[in-house]
Amino acid sequence: MASNTPEIPWWLSKVLEVMWQNFVQYVPIILSALSNTLILAFFSFGLATVLGIVMAFAEVFTSKTILIIVSWVARVLRGVPLILSIFLVFYGLPKLGLTLPPLYAAILGIAIVDAGYQEQIFRGAIKAVSNRQLEAAYSLGLTRASAFLYVVLPQAFRIALPSWINDFTIVLKDTSIAYAIGVVEMFTQAIHVAQVIMDYMWPLVFVALIYLAICYPLSMLSNYLHGKLKMMGMLGSGV
Amino acid sequence: MLKEELLIVEDLWKFIDGKPVLKGITFDVSRGETKVILGPSGAGKSTLLRCINLLVVPDRGRIIFDGEDVLKRRDIHNVRSKMGFVFQHFNLFSHMTALENVMLGLVKVKKMPKHEAEKKAKEALMAVGIAEELWNRYPAQLSGGQQQRVAIARALAMEPKLILFDEPTSALDPELIWEVLNVMERLAKAKMTMIVVTHEIGFAMRVASEVMFLDDGMILERGPPEQVILNPCNERVKRFMDRMKYVYSLDTG
Ligand SMILES: Nc1ncnc2c1ncn2[C@@H]1O[C@H](COP(=O)(O)OP(=O)(O)OP(=O)(O)O)[C@@H](O)[C@H]1O
Ligand SMILES: [Mg+2]
Repeated sequence: MASNTPEIPWWLSKVLEVMWQNFVQYVPIILSALSNTLILAFFSFGLATVLGIVMAFAEVFTSKTILIIVSWVARVLRGVPLILSIFLVFYGLPKLGLTLPPLYAAILGIAIVDAGYQEQIFRGAIKAVSNRQLEAAYSLGLTRASAFLYVVLPQAFRIALPSWINDFTIVLKDTSIAYAIGVVEMFTQAIHVAQVIMDYMWPLVFVALIYLAICYPLSMLSNYLHGKLKMMGMLGSGV
Repeated sequence: MLKEELLIVEDLWKFIDGKPVLKGITFDVSRGETKVILGPSGAGKSTLLRCINLLVVPDRGRIIFDGEDVLKRRDIHNVRSKMGFVFQHFNLFSHMTALENVMLGLVKVKKMPKHEAEKKAKEALMAVGIAEELWNRYPAQLSGGQQQRVAIARALAMEPKLILFDEPTSALDPELIWEVLNVMERLAKAKMTMIVVTHEIGFAMRVASEVMFLDDGMILERGPPEQVILNPCNERVKRFMDRMKYVYSLDTG
């Protein structure tokens, strides 16, 4: 602890120490909610990925009309504040006869908004595959379908990877909004603990560090992959 | 008996943005022949090659390839599988190794079993002088000259009846140009039928059976390389060649 540090007055360090000791016994309780945070993150991110890819494919492979409709839908989704989306699903859908438990409502609410962002990631990635790559595939006699399957898609997925990983870190942190509808995830639990021990600092700093511990390595991985793609010449101008 | 002409191009027109880029091109290519196309930038050379393998669809005219009117066929990909195309910027698949690049067409177009395709691909790579230690490298790990030779191997492995080259050396450093031209010269000697768009007049002098000079979408002059390159009749061609000879220091006495 900071008790040896000369700049902090003895009484302050004593206070911090007592607060920490009060808090430390609650650490397992906070950590027990990590599983819910991860469930929220994985399922809403997974659902958003499926929706995002479906929208991106619909835009690239179907008609102009569908392109306009889907890109408009995605733009609307991106424009919805996350808390509004979650409230709509949790408080609004029951009016339409669909009542979801808080955890499911949060997953759906987060996924809906994130799908709008993932549509952007995957459509951008498909578009970013160089036209030259496509022409090379055609010149070998590959059909349109094979060219997309064996050349465009594998490259698009690689191009999407860094942004996709980054998006996961954003979703992970966004799961804390599920607090608003009473999902007992990590942030909610930290608040509960804070209210019991009448100290917000340690619980909040602690959960911040957990979020960081998950996001930081992922964002390093994302950077590494980005560099690798660049080196392989896959992040060209899209000509 | 096979007809002597492998390719007949008749009155080919192409408009891009309402502007004529090819204005009634007519020529033919015999089996085993190396045709070289010269001409200034913007003349329509790339467009002509791309029309021949239908990467660009011409607006008017006929293309008879191996006895068939290709514009009438709906399965364009089958026509393309018999025609190689070598691009100025190599266009190797950047997510595949050299070997995988060469194998893709064999497996997915020719439906060859994997091990057979691999054997064939390795032969093709050897034929263009790509040694074993480079087979598992990605394009980004190869020099430009190596990439272009892999691209030639990729075309060659498909056993095409015709290979189209669009300025295959103009994105290369001078030293690497030689290794690519050398491979192409060997192909020509082996009687591969080729149409080569290039500015390498030295190469044209050595291997071209006929040189065509294209400008503004029209063939201004055609004939043996000695004529078109060294003694062109057309004034425009003569001016172009004088500059080329200066650039390439080709002493013509
Ligand atoms: N996709 C396109 N969009 C617009 N204009 C084009 C396109 N492709 C070709 N052109 C135009 O058609 C003309 C011929 O182009 P092309 O690329 O065939 O010329 P080139 O002889 O190959 O020239 P270079 O030596 O520069 O490669 C040019 O004026 C060019 O601007
Ligand atoms: Mg060109």
